[in-house]
Amino acid sequence: MDLHDLTAAYALDALDPDEAEAYERHLGQCEECREQLAELSGTATALAFATVAPAPPARLRESILAAAAAERTNVVPLLRRRWVARGLAVAAAAAACIVVGVIVSLGKSTQTTAYSLVVRNGHATLNISGLSAAPSGKTYEAWVIPASGKAQPAGLFAGGAPATVHLTGTVPPHATVAVTVERAGGVQHPTTEPIYSAPT
Amino acid sequence: MNAVGADSSEPPDRFDSLEPAVLGERISDAVSRQLAHLSDEALVALAARSEQTALAELYDRYGRTAYGLALRVLRDQALAEDAVQEAFLTVWRTASRFVPERGKASTWILTLVHRRAVYTVRREQRRRTDSLELAAEPSVEGVEEDAWLRLQRERVQAALRLLPDAQREALELAYYGGFSQSELAERLGQPLGTIKSRMFTGLSRLREQLGEPGTEISWTSTT
Repeated sequence: MDLHDLTAAYALDALDPDEAEAYERHLGQCEECREQLAELSGTATALAFATVAPAPPARLRESILAAAAAERTNVVPLLRRRWVARGLAVAAAAAACIVVGVIVSLGKSTQTTAYSLVVRNGHATLNISGLSAAPSGKTYEAWVIPASGKAQPAGLFAGGAPATVHLTGTVPPHATVAVTVERAGGVQHPTTEPIYSAPT
Repeated sequence: MNAVGADSSEPPDRFDSLEPAVLGERISDAVSRQLAHLSDEALVALAARSEQTALAELYDRYGRTAYGLALRVLRDQALAEDAVQEAFLTVWRTASRFVPERGKASTWILTLVHRRAVYTVRREQRRRTDSLELAAEPSVEGVEEDAWLRLQRERVQAALRLLPDAQREALELAYYGGFSQSELAERLGQPLGTIKSRMFTGLSRLREQLGEPGTEISWTSTT
């Protein structure tokens, strides 16, 4: 069996499982086949567009999105890591070694937390769901961090239920919005690593 | 600053006083409007960061084509829905491993759908009781289709019609019928080498007919 000859059949999903496996192993070593497969896969996919497609039932979209939301549990969004890279919040640096633990445990949490941020005419609204209640004696605190400058406290919230937080103050262009866990009553400067941060 | 595609008929103070549920809806509308301008590949990158609205946008772009394809292969609505769902969840789970240099996101997504559908049709052995003839393609009548999809369909169908019958038959039986090359060789009474060469030549010609990479099918924003 000459594996080079199997590219078209592989692109059409027309190989038997053992042939497909052998071809995939071959792909790892054959640049020529990888290039040809990229081309022919694109063409094979064009055949998908040749069929008359009735609209799928609306429940399919809902079902996919619900399953996706339920599944995404142990992924630490990159945005959290970016905070570190950007060297924001000098005050948080002292707590950095504790913070790593926090991120990991958040990452393994079985709960999916969803944030959405809308900034309109300099005013920001943060919608949060799936965030567990802040521990006893703690609160969640939102921050607005200008592109150059210190983090400004932008409001407190308790978590535990879906919440809409209207951030206090205005959000200058290119600012970052972040959320940290702080002691009850809130603080003037962040002391922990953000559990959420997003550029605006 | 106006980070979202705001509805100009809605003054900001009114926006702030909305009920949370309405506000949430408004936010997802606004996010969707923003995502509508992103490329498929950018959406996959966002999905890799757990952005569910990006997955929703990918579904809105390709869900219909995906479902049509799965239905064509499986001829069963429930199985087709399962295949599409599994494929989109695979997108969600493995988005971080998608490499744009190796191909377009739409190709990746529809390949996942097709592979899943073919896997299922073989497992179900549904075709064992069917003749080799493909089910008639669903009629266009009564199907509401957007202009872009209709254009793509007509374009690919026209390119298919230009192929010699034997090559077109091999491509259609493999892609829409889920038959493997060895099954086709057996059922068409042809040597395996002949089937392989029909698939390869047919697909290569189809590629030429569909034009250079710059004119390939890709989603374009209509907004």
